[in-house]
Amino acid sequence: MDSRSHMEAAPDAANALAVRPEAGRSAGRSARPAAECAVRIAGLTKTYRSNWSLKTTRGLEDLNLEVQRGEVFGYLGPNGAGKTTTLKILTGLLKPTSGSAWLLGEPIEHVRSRVRLGFLPEQPYFYDYLNGVEYLEFVARLSGVAGREAVKAARHWLGRVGLGDREKLVLRKYSKGMLQRLGLAAAVVHEPELIILDEPMSGLDPFGRRDVRDLILEQRERGVTVMFSSHILPDVEMLCDRVAILLRGRLERVATVGELVDGAGARIEFRCAGAPLVELPSAWSNCLTRTQRAEETLFTLTDASQQQAVLAWLVSQRVDVRAVTPQRNTLEELFMAAAESSAIHAASERRSA
Amino acid sequence: MNAVLIAQNTFREAIRDRVLAGMVIAGLVLLGLAQVARPLAMGEGLRLTVDLGLSSITMLGLLVVLLVGTSLVAKEIERRTIFNLLSRPLPRPVYLIGKWAGLSGALWVVSATLGLALWGVLALLGRGAYWAPIAQSVYLAGLELTVVTALAVMFSALSTPVLSSLYTLGFFLAGQWCDDLRTFAQHAPDSLRNLLEFVANVLPNLSLFNMRTLAAVGETTTALHLSLASGYALLYCGCVLALGAAAFESRDFR
Repeated sequence: MDSRSHMEAAPDAANALAVRPEAGRSAGRSARPAAECAVRIAGLTKTYRSNWSLKTTRGLEDLNLEVQRGEVFGYLGPNGAGKTTTLKILTGLLKPTSGSAWLLGEPIEHVRSRVRLGFLPEQPYFYDYLNGVEYLEFVARLSGVAGREAVKAARHWLGRVGLGDREKLVLRKYSKGMLQRLGLAAAVVHEPELIILDEPMSGLDPFGRRDVRDLILEQRERGVTVMFSSHILPDVEMLCDRVAILLRGRLERVATVGELVDGAGARIEFRCAGAPLVELPSAWSNCLTRTQRAEETLFTLTDASQQQAVLAWLVSQRVDVRAVTPQRNTLEELFMAAAESSAIHAASERRSA
Repeated sequence: MNAVLIAQNTFREAIRDRVLAGMVIAGLVLLGLAQVARPLAMGEGLRLTVDLGLSSITMLGLLVVLLVGTSLVAKEIERRTIFNLLSRPLPRPVYLIGKWAGLSGALWVVSATLGLALWGVLALLGRGAYWAPIAQSVYLAGLELTVVTALAVMFSALSTPVLSSLYTLGFFLAGQWCDDLRTFAQHAPDSLRNLLEFVANVLPNLSLFNMRTLAAVGETTTALHLSLASGYALLYCGCVLALGAAAFESRDFR
């Protein structure tokens, strides 16, 4: 997509993800008991305070969210949006400043909330003096798998993530991609009911990413709930039942991928041969744009109801129309537009303050 | 159960670390040097061997605690390996206890190895009957290192490795003169006495674990002393680890 047509699409995309606090609130304040959800978050806030300057920064603000059992849930946001903060609070690594959360019905303050949880931290690190089987056996036993079963599970999952031929290799000799695969195996070795993955595709080559996608889909088929954060939006679009978008510590939107993409409004592209000398009618100045390419001209229409009229007009102007293609905004375009919109909103808030 | 797993893993880490092997080698070298220097000891060669052999267990053990123990938790936080542990059903106090138990276990094994080596040297010198004082001394040295390890783990959970090393070394040195401090407190003015007695009570009474002078002349200590030392070590470790766990519980891992 060229830059001009992207600019045209941006307002639609921004509207689709427009700041809607009530959407986020209703996501968490339902009367549904916590036990029915895989993850339930109510009013979660996290504030960091610098030890030296005593300055406070808000990592997360009044987050309300529910992830249903058995769904694959994408957690999106730019760097610093609060994704990792949320996931670390859920897994007990950070203490919330206020608010509550439950995993599979258990409050996160209790360690039993982590019995059926598998977690992959961002850029995972491991004990480099252990080998793959030793490490997986160790973490499986920590999650309650009995001795012999733990060894069996460790061997199975090491093979499943493609490291079965390196059982005895110590982890200090693993590459970044191999460590990421081992981290995934560690997250699932005890067969949890809920898996939380922080940037699981990070550092992986295309084959590695495909393997992660397969693993997530396999877990979904088993009925496991998967919640993951990612920057790789095509993967999110491909895998997720629903996505949440977090910007600057606030939940902007929770919706299915289809709802987001369809709600953004479609556009229609008319690919025409050559460089026709036509002037765009002023009636369509808000919805029709023209982009010149090497051997063709692209007319982009953002108002689908005008499709037949525009086509008729092009034909009447003796333009050689080669293709008429309906286009959908990708999740990436929607996400970028929302992030830009939020940045503009924040800047105007700062100016008025 | 999970404390045992953490302890096993910490023990395995310590055993695979070269520092521990270095400690054993250094202890054996010191024993060998004591034999070389024995003829120069003017009839006190046996005393020199026992004293140096037992002191080396404590000193080398302290070195391991300072090098390994004080970064035991801090290193896990810095390298983020702790994320993979605390995101499992593992209570934070249990994690700390496991870390302490694992390193203490490794130090007990090394202390016992060096104690056996010392007894072997003494047996070659015709003093095999020294086994009882040597065994008692090694046991007390093990208890002392266990107490110092608890301090190191507590400081490591709350501070950087460098500061933890300094605090631990400070407590170790002050702990050696705990009895002297208590005696000094009795002669101090009233206003200072309470403070000095409080400090003496807070510091570990490490002189309780020292029977090297007795062992050097082949004498044993009483069962009461051993029992008191064991009870004191357990109680002190319990208090230190409880304090460490309380502070560690609220810590954020960013």
